[in-house]
Amino acid sequence: MSEANGLRQPKRATADLFLKLGVVPVPDGEKAAAAIGHLDEFRTKVRSFVMAMESCVKCGACAENCHTYLGTRDPNNIPAGRADLIRKVYKRHFTVQGKLFPGLVGAQDLDLETIEKWYSYYYQCSECRRCAHVCPFGIDTAEVTMIGRQILFWLGIGPQLHTATSGAILKTGNHMGLTQAGMVDTLDFLSEEIEEEYEGLKVTFPVDKPNSDVLYIPSSADFMLNANTLKGAAMFLQYVGANWTMSSRITEAGNFGYLMDQNRVMREMVTRLMEETTRLGCKKIVWGECGHGWRATKMYVPTMSDMPASRKIPMTHIHDEVEAYVKAGLLELDPKRNARKITLHDPCNYARACGHSDNMRVIMNAVVPKGAFTEMRPNREANFCCGGGSGILFDDKKMYEYRILASNKKAEQVRATNAEVLCAPCSICKAQLYPMVKEHKLPVEVVGLVDLVGNALVFRD
Amino acid sequence: MPFVEVEGKQVEVDEDGFMVDPAAWFPGWAHYVAKSEGIGELTERHWHVIDFLKDYYAKTGIAPMIRKLCKESGIPLKEMYELFPTGPAKGACKCAGLPKPTGCV
Repeated sequence: MSEANGLRQPKRATADLFLKLGVVPVPDGEKAAAAIGHLDEFRTKVRSFVMAMESCVKCGACAENCHTYLGTRDPNNIPAGRADLIRKVYKRHFTVQGKLFPGLVGAQDLDLETIEKWYSYYYQCSECRRCAHVCPFGIDTAEVTMIGRQILFWLGIGPQLHTATSGAILKTGNHMGLTQAGMVDTLDFLSEEIEEEYEGLKVTFPVDKPNSDVLYIPSSADFMLNANTLKGAAMFLQYVGANWTMSSRITEAGNFGYLMDQNRVMREMVTRLMEETTRLGCKKIVWGECGHGWRATKMYVPTMSDMPASRKIPMTHIHDEVEAYVKAGLLELDPKRNARKITLHDPCNYARACGHSDNMRVIMNAVVPKGAFTEMRPNREANFCCGGGSGILFDDKKMYEYRILASNKKAEQVRATNAEVLCAPCSICKAQLYPMVKEHKLPVEVVGLVDLVGNALVFRD
Repeated sequence: MPFVEVEGKQVEVDEDGFMVDPAAWFPGWAHYVAKSEGIGELTERHWHVIDFLKDYYAKTGIAPMIRKLCKESGIPLKEMYELFPTGPAKGACKCAGLPKPTGCV
């Protein structure tokens, strides 16, 4: 299928890529019927979806709270309007009024044109859930986006980026196709860097070490872009004397399955996680800096995994670990090493889904000097998305332009703080903000939070 | 997957025009990408980066961490972006026949 006229759509994956993920693309003539079959299944299984379909009164509260709408002023990017792309089909097929008087209740048959709109708008939504935060009915519109993306996936429609990344997951257990040899080489390089930067400090990065207590799950993007996040985590884990390791079979804190296929692909990561935890004898899993991946793990692993380990092994985030040590007074920190004026971007999944607003601030206040940290506004649960949430990090021209528009609100927030450093402790946020601060001419450096912890830790012999 | 013809050879590429099989790389490929990516004529500095990437990929199966690429090739990040305007992960890797990076990059 070619790109639909005028719609903003990311470059789509080929049938070959879908076949590798076990999906046979559905022919155009059968797409509408197949999609309605899937909707019927979701309707009977997912109550939050039915609630979203049935309860919205179009009060408009979500509109001005959505960075996507604020950036584009496209009515289909109003969360309620975006959900309507499915709602009108839902009404037509699953409500009495819609079956009898479709024209009166805004019900519509599903056609290819609407499916093309799904592809366009469900991949402009970043699943940030700020609309859910302000909805007086508590409708989580991101769930509608997720269902839209899932149905598109089953039809064989999806972005090249998400589909290729899902392929890398099945092959290697991480998004970037990291190999063990590549990991070890990168980590040796980082050990040398730490030794040079911190007066001969020796920090090791164990990989696949049997009989480890802690399995640390880094974001694979840290191996290419976010070196200091990887270093900070290793420095912290070594400082507290953890018997830890990473695994080359699951070197990924993210889970693009959660963003596209919350079944086969998402489960692959969950299964690998539990297999590796068991194989390496780990008693605890500590998660690295990744927002959506941490949500997928914290909220879904216990129910999605059918292995006993998932009910027994505690899973925490590295921010929780650092917070606990800070509160217990067990870290000697030198905040002067992070002296520049800094602000904090609350990644959506931490702040609105995982209750991390406090722990990030406990850490921040411990690792920077008094007065260096300025809040952006709004913040915490009310913060705006970076504009790249749910992995919409597309680089085709039209979609890249869209990413700049979708980050207008973020740029405005950052600029108002006059900060020199923008802390964004999530790999998607980092990947979005590295280019975005340049496009918006913001004079800030983008960093993670654990980066600052590693930099402030005072090691004594 | 689509094919493009470069110097009379059929090269299989992905949707973004990256080579599917890095083993099929030949120098003409780098010239072809340089033209289509707006890099222009390849200088000695470009080749230094391309050769480094190819060697590294052959040894490890991945593209190097950007910081490592800069440090070990001796080419600072700023110059790297001047040489390859779309960046080391995309422009340079494409010239060197490496697959397009996936995930959060």
